[in-house]
Amino acid sequence: MKLRPLFFLIAVVPALAQYHAPRTANGQPDLQGIWQAETTSSYDIQAHSAHLGMPAGTGIVVGGEIPYTPEAAAQKRQNFQNRATADPNNKCFLPGVPRANYMPFPFQIFQTAKDVAILYEYVHAYRLIPLDGSKHPEDVDFWMGDSRGHWEGDTLVVDVADSNDQTWFDASGNFHSGASHVIERYTRTGPDTISYEATIEDPKVFTKPWNISLPFYRRLEKNLQLMEYDCYAYEEPSK
Amino acid sequence: MKTILLGLILSVAALAQTPGPQETHREKPAVNAGPMPRGADGKPDFQGVWEVRSPGGNAAYDVEDHLKAVYGIPPGKGVIVDPTDGKIPYLPAAAQRKQDLVAHHMYDDPEAHCFLSGIPRQVYAPFGFQILQPANYVLFLFENFHAYRVIPTDGRPHLPADIKTFEGDSRGRWDGDTLVVDVTNQNDRTWFDMAGNFHSDELHVIERYTPVDANTIDYRASIEDPKTFSRPWTIAFPITRITRPGYEIMELACVEGERDLKHYTEGEGGGNKK
Repeated sequence: MKLRPLFFLIAVVPALAQYHAPRTANGQPDLQGIWQAETTSSYDIQAHSAHLGMPAGTGIVVGGEIPYTPEAAAQKRQNFQNRATADPNNKCFLPGVPRANYMPFPFQIFQTAKDVAILYEYVHAYRLIPLDGSKHPEDVDFWMGDSRGHWEGDTLVVDVADSNDQTWFDASGNFHSGASHVIERYTRTGPDTISYEATIEDPKVFTKPWNISLPFYRRLEKNLQLMEYDCYAYEEPSK
Repeated sequence: MKTILLGLILSVAALAQTPGPQETHREKPAVNAGPMPRGADGKPDFQGVWEVRSPGGNAAYDVEDHLKAVYGIPPGKGVIVDPTDGKIPYLPAAAQRKQDLVAHHMYDDPEAHCFLSGIPRQVYAPFGFQILQPANYVLFLFENFHAYRVIPTDGRPHLPADIKTFEGDSRGRWDGDTLVVDVTNQNDRTWFDMAGNFHSDELHVIERYTPVDANTIDYRASIEDPKTFSRPWTIAFPITRITRPGYEIMELACVEGERDLKHYTEGEGGGNKK
């Protein structure tokens, strides 16, 4: 009976101890630094066995299943068959959002009073994310989409629209249309971790919105900096 | 429409006056824009969207004076302020290679292949760029080929010399109000322009960004490469703020839809097409 208050304390401490992110000079939660996903999801965002050059993985899709329409499910199967040549990343194209975030390459987050910038080592992709409440442009599409952000407490929420229909979610043919809409949530969960969650809507391809969830880990090597991976420049000139 | 046409004629007339080398690179701002703002750290706040207009923009075609149109390159003044003859001080063997590139290898212009431009070409490549100054860094985000430059200003050393990259390794420091950027580690695969002006992997560029007024940065870059040039040389031009309200940089993908190479003909070294 005497122990009960202690048990009570142990039970509630994790909830109370939610990590409080340090602040930038502008008072924003500080997401800055060089980060990287540690996942096999650039091969396949769903649970998958190992293949040659492809480690097994549990995937990042919340609940495991992607709610494709029947036509889209057929397209996905075809993409998988043709993945060696059809994966846009195999042509060194910009990887799109969210795939850029879980490529096996580091990325760096920078913050100013007005913007968040995410710079990716992979094919020097970058995203400039205005925090000024501005709207997405209309009648235009981009490989990396158009990102607009705002803070909800300690979480950076980024609304991504205007993506084209050329990028995939992974090397296994999971795909979207030009109607895709991604809502990302970046939350610091510790000194060296960010929780990344994204909701994906695309009524042309999916019957309902679905979610991915994974952590980003801070790269701790001394003197680390983003390097240059200019993918297409390393191919034979006779490509 | 008439106004636009008149403006165009006036611009052409102004260009035709062929100002002397000193005036060429000292464009007076049309209106008093006030001083460059300062950040919380007291340093000049260059944040915003910028572009390099003519005459600096001519450098994208040819950093040297090019008074005759050639290979689709319009005539224009160059941007070399030292030496005063406006010519790149190539070593004899390098001068020969430049002539060979012009005669036979224009198809090999790295930009036509969507390769990153290198420094300084990245700065005067067409289209605008945005400067951000988060703590301890200056960032350049370019429209062209979605290139970026991350310039730490915390005094850290350069990358090991064995690492070569298209954009090089940039380190910044403040010399009074001038941002000085030291660029090393560049590979030998970029050119200075479309005219075949080239360098080796011993290229060393020292850039100076000096505020002139709120809408103008004076850009100067000193270029050294003992394998290619007999002495250091310097380019200079103004960088101008894009003041159109609501202007935003956009994504310019290159390799994803490349259609430039087919425009090169046999006469431009197109015979090298594989």
